[in-house]
Amino acid sequence: MQILVIGLAMLTSAVFASSVFAIEYGGFGGRPAYPRADNPRTESIFVHTLEPGDVQEEGVLTVNNSAERKTMLVYAVDSTPSTGGAFACAQKSETPKDVGAWITLEKGEVTLEPGTNELVPFTIRVPQNASVGEHNGCIVMQEKKEPVKGQSGASLSFRTGLRVAITIPGELERKLEIVGFTVTKKDDGSFLLHPLVKNLGNVSIDADAQVITSYFFGLTHITHGGQYPILRGDISDWNFELKKPFWGGWYRSSFVAEYDANPEAGVGVKSGKTLTRLEGPSVWFWSFPTPVALAIEVIVLLVLAFGGFLFWLSQKRKRWIKENWVFYEIKSGEDIKSLAERFDVSWKLLARVNKLKPPYALKTGQKIKVPPTK
Amino acid sequence: MHKLIRKLLGKLNIAIALTLAMVMAGGLGGATYVLASSTSNFTQTINAGTLVVDIVDGTSYVTVGSPTMAMSAATFSFACQTKTGSFGTASESIYVSNPDAADNGWAVSLAGTATSSVWASAGTDFDFNDGGGSGCTDTVDAQDTDAVGGQMTVDPSVGTLAIGQCASCVTTNVTKGSSDAFNAVTGPVNTITILTGAAASDDIGDWKLTGVSISQKIPAEQPAASDYNINMVLSIAAS
Repeated sequence: MQILVIGLAMLTSAVFASSVFAIEYGGFGGRPAYPRADNPRTESIFVHTLEPGDVQEEGVLTVNNSAERKTMLVYAVDSTPSTGGAFACAQKSETPKDVGAWITLEKGEVTLEPGTNELVPFTIRVPQNASVGEHNGCIVMQEKKEPVKGQSGASLSFRTGLRVAITIPGELERKLEIVGFTVTKKDDGSFLLHPLVKNLGNVSIDADAQVITSYFFGLTHITHGGQYPILRGDISDWNFELKKPFWGGWYRSSFVAEYDANPEAGVGVKSGKTLTRLEGPSVWFWSFPTPVALAIEVIVLLVLAFGGFLFWLSQKRKRWIKENWVFYEIKSGEDIKSLAERFDVSWKLLARVNKLKPPYALKTGQKIKVPPTK
Repeated sequence: MHKLIRKLLGKLNIAIALTLAMVMAGGLGGATYVLASSTSNFTQTINAGTLVVDIVDGTSYVTVGSPTMAMSAATFSFACQTKTGSFGTASESIYVSNPDAADNGWAVSLAGTATSSVWASAGTDFDFNDGGGSGCTDTVDAQDTDAVGGQMTVDPSVGTLAIGQCASCVTTNVTKGSSDAFNAVTGPVNTITILTGAAASDDIGDWKLTGVSISQKIPAEQPAASDYNINMVLSIAAS
């Protein structure tokens, strides 16, 4: 009996003990090891303001949340402009010349068991000749893979990069310029809203780029956009997709960009002062209604047209009555019904034209309007 | 009385056996148990998440072991030809997961492992980033050191973006990149943006992209071979 109980208890405990350990997100990568409370942005990227010659100790927490043992290459590279002005990290094959060259990692390779992490310290040494302004680079985590031989097609490797933004103090310029805005119709009837903004300064700027699409009479239909970093010297552009508007008609899209031009602002730091607002061009465009909307619109138009026709007809008849009906003096024994029969007209029309009220009694000698006799 | 004592001792044995079993099983399972008080302490570990880009099965979200970008088959031609393909399918979706690791935005980009990368085969290679002769001939330039022509164009804007496993997430503030061609000389265009997440995109979310259009210019008289291969890198960067 005791053996059975022990056996059952061991089995139950072993099963439940191994199924409630951890929630895992999957994948591998890294995070800044020392985020600072004064800048929430440092939870995602590395942000420092350093003078030429400064040395900064930092660290990246490499994480393996996949279900397999992973060997990761950890390396520093410069940033590179990607199309659309998006932030990207240069390839390992490219020799770093900027921030990538300023960073020395304690190790270039880590092997992590599933669900584990390891801190990789690194040092940033800013050269004496570093120019004023913002310099960007990346700490990259890439799975170490042996090249597959004999495979045809494009083989893919994956990597995660964390931006390293180093600002060298001095005369920092924060200036943006809207360089264009287009609206392109796609084959499926949707529209591509494509604004372009250029950074004329020497630091990156977090800009709030918004495309506001309005109906013909000015009411807002939809707003696209968000806050995006625009790197120094780059032109950023975005493709906001406007689904084919249900009702169709004329629409107007306008581009607006807001940013903090004050020198106190920085990467992840707001000055708290008034933002600079740039207003770009507006583009009018026509969208054909969807089939359902078109059917509804045709029905409504037909109803309106028919209603208009009826109204026009009634107005025409009113005018004809006003111009052609003649006064008639009521004789003894005549009532509205007999008059209607005599003049071949409905008694209701007679009552309406003469503004008679129930019980529609007529007095002898009273004059009312009646249709002309043929 | 003796009977009662025997019964109690028997029950005590069972309790001791259960306790021992728990401790032993806990040791085997790698768990730690605290048996000190009448209140239970449940422990739960949530590992720090990281920003990830991957190719997964669009239904099961299982990582695809050796993902490829398949191109339509080409036949030998005396003229320069363009072949198309699709990057991201239902069974091989481009997948982005942001488990609160990049609150201020991110960008996914595609690049060759080096500007000197080529579609390599045992025979003659052709290029992916040479804009010479509209992508059909070789440009002699220090930035494009290989001596072959060919150019790849990537158009993410025609792709289909959808939310992943996070049912409450939205695709708002996640935008697809514009169509562009790799070009080692003019631009240069070494990295093409596939997706961009604005600061206002979901801090905790996942998205999948399918149907990114790929077209490749193949120079005239390119020898037939079945093993043309190129290594590309899909990166995600927190910005």
